[in-house]
Amino acid sequence: MTLRRSGAAAVRLPALAIATGLISGIAAPAPASDFTAGEERRILRHGPWPPALRPDPSNRASGKPAAIAFGRALFFDPRLSVSGAVSCASCHPPDRAWTDGLPRSRGQRTVDRNAPALFNLRFNRWFGWDGAQDSLWAQNLRPLLDGREMGIGPGGAARLVRSDRELSCGYRRAFGDAPGADDERVFVDLGKALAAFLETRVTGRTPFDDFRDALALGDAAGQARYPAAARRGLRLFVGRGNCAFCHFGPAFTNGEFADAGVPHFIEPGRVDPGRLGGIRKLRRSPYTLLGRFNDDAGRSTAASTRHVRLRQSNFGEFRVPGLRNAALTRPYMHAGSLATLADVVHHYSTIDEERLHAGGERILRRLDLSAREQADLVAFLETLTETAPRHESVGKSADALCR
Amino acid sequence: MPAGRSPAIVSRRRFLAASAVAALLPPAARAGAPLPIFDAHIHFSHDAAERFSAGEAVAILEKAGLKRALVSSSGDAGTRALYAAAPGLVLPSLRPYRRRGEIRSWVDDPSAVDFLEDRLRRFRWVAVGEFHLFASQTGKAVPRRMIELARQHNLLLHAHSDAGAVDGIFAQWPEARVLWAHAGFVGPDVVGPMLGKHPNLWTDLAFRSEHAHEGRVEDDWRSLFAAYPDRVTVGTDTFTPERWHYVADHADWTREWLADLPSGLAEKIAWRNGEAMIRPHLANLRK
Repeated sequence: MTLRRSGAAAVRLPALAIATGLISGIAAPAPASDFTAGEERRILRHGPWPPALRPDPSNRASGKPAAIAFGRALFFDPRLSVSGAVSCASCHPPDRAWTDGLPRSRGQRTVDRNAPALFNLRFNRWFGWDGAQDSLWAQNLRPLLDGREMGIGPGGAARLVRSDRELSCGYRRAFGDAPGADDERVFVDLGKALAAFLETRVTGRTPFDDFRDALALGDAAGQARYPAAARRGLRLFVGRGNCAFCHFGPAFTNGEFADAGVPHFIEPGRVDPGRLGGIRKLRRSPYTLLGRFNDDAGRSTAASTRHVRLRQSNFGEFRVPGLRNAALTRPYMHAGSLATLADVVHHYSTIDEERLHAGGERILRRLDLSAREQADLVAFLETLTETAPRHESVGKSADALCR
Repeated sequence: MPAGRSPAIVSRRRFLAASAVAALLPPAARAGAPLPIFDAHIHFSHDAAERFSAGEAVAILEKAGLKRALVSSSGDAGTRALYAAAPGLVLPSLRPYRRRGEIRSWVDDPSAVDFLEDRLRRFRWVAVGEFHLFASQTGKAVPRRMIELARQHNLLLHAHSDAGAVDGIFAQWPEARVLWAHAGFVGPDVVGPMLGKHPNLWTDLAFRSEHAHEGRVEDDWRSLFAAYPDRVTVGTDTFTPERWHYVADHADWTREWLADLPSGLAEKIAWRNGEAMIRPHLANLRK
């Protein structure tokens, strides 16, 4: 962080804000900064936004315009499903914040989990609710392998790309060579092209970012524009609520996994093991950063995968999602069990602590928030919504790739 | 113990000597029938009992290859139902909790004593617990009365406690037999001296992962197991209904790391220690 407010500025701000409010005719401006120095430090950690987007060393297509265009075409192409009717966009429609609004998504059949919104993915360490994938390109292969989602598999995908003139051309432009005879290699490259496209999806600036930067600059007028309810919610978020312990940093996630006390039965007699199953799948998968498809020859990207350990506590843990644009991505939690942000806040406010193991460090505690406090937290979360969303066209068709 | 020598020093020497012996012993055989498991940490609380019938729950335990299960529940109905369904498998333990949500409040709730006295009068038990008790609470009237009841009824105490509370239990009742849940969530450097200090203390490794990784037992834990081969047990801890679907998984994971130990030691940790620990209390079930 390079921008810091001085303590003296902090003292002066309320008076400045009131003056600014009077001059600009605002009836009842919120005080510019009534946060303590500790709260301010914690708030500033949630920015700046957006962070720099660096290419993914594990993906040789990352950041390349031709690969991004090819990935965009693939994203909207239903031929990547066995039925020919389901594309990536079926469960992740851009006009619905890249998710489908269903508790559990439906590809070719209904799956066990909620479709996460597809933005800010470049900043993740693990992918999927269970972290069974350690790269965005590997994550993109999962629905292509799962018969409930798209299920085309390596052979079907490779045959499609080799046999279709435009897809073949798009592949060649993205990767420099025509699709080869190694089905699995071609298949993984499709995941990499999709990743090149999806990693460009970074959410825009939000009212919170404006407030946070104003705080960093000591800009009283900028701070005063942030609503009072959101300000109170923010204080809870970084303070008594301890939400920022897991929803940490500019993307509002620590990138790891937690047991949030959410039931994880899928149906009678079947549970979702969460992270426990994810680690096991990761270890069995040929598509990890430890395998032959990682384009990072030095394997510097594979450290987390190499060192991940299975723990008893992993059973029932799910990935901590980022909170940017959360207001647009209902329903919530790994199986969409909570319909609204208010429901989520209520869940944490009244959490059943005995669903959380009493051993070790206790992160989650019943908050017993008042109705107003819960509303304030929701008001804060709503300020994490981008103010100028970037609209994604339905994608260039594959045949536009090579014209 | 020689005069002037602290329990901690004695236990540390014993610990090191046993470590050297353990290193020379052959690993446990991997072939053959699955190792039976004495699961010392099963709960069948009301929310689990709403999900599974006692018969279904017993089937899960049997499928996991459990030889015995020390079972308790928040609300004792689940434990009693499970014991009635499988008296040869289930060892009933009485918690001082009538339902979920009393983990922290029971120590200040005299009605918990009424509950214990009533259930001890009406039903048969081998243990009291798992209860949550910490060092600052051992002087309170409710836990003291619970320990007194355990003495009167010859019950094992299954304590989710810090080391200070375990010391407090033995201070009140030196002849107590205590199963230290989760090995206190502390490392071998603390567990070893505690086992050295209290001959009637056992540990369960429920919800612990640090002792083994990918089928290999970590050196510091291996030394602890070798130093106290008769005092360690294993357990799943079904603290949510979902974890009933983890019992078999946990048993398999346990067998995997036990296979890294000498076979005799592996058998002890898997089930023999649990059997020996509970034997003096089995007569309670025959009264």
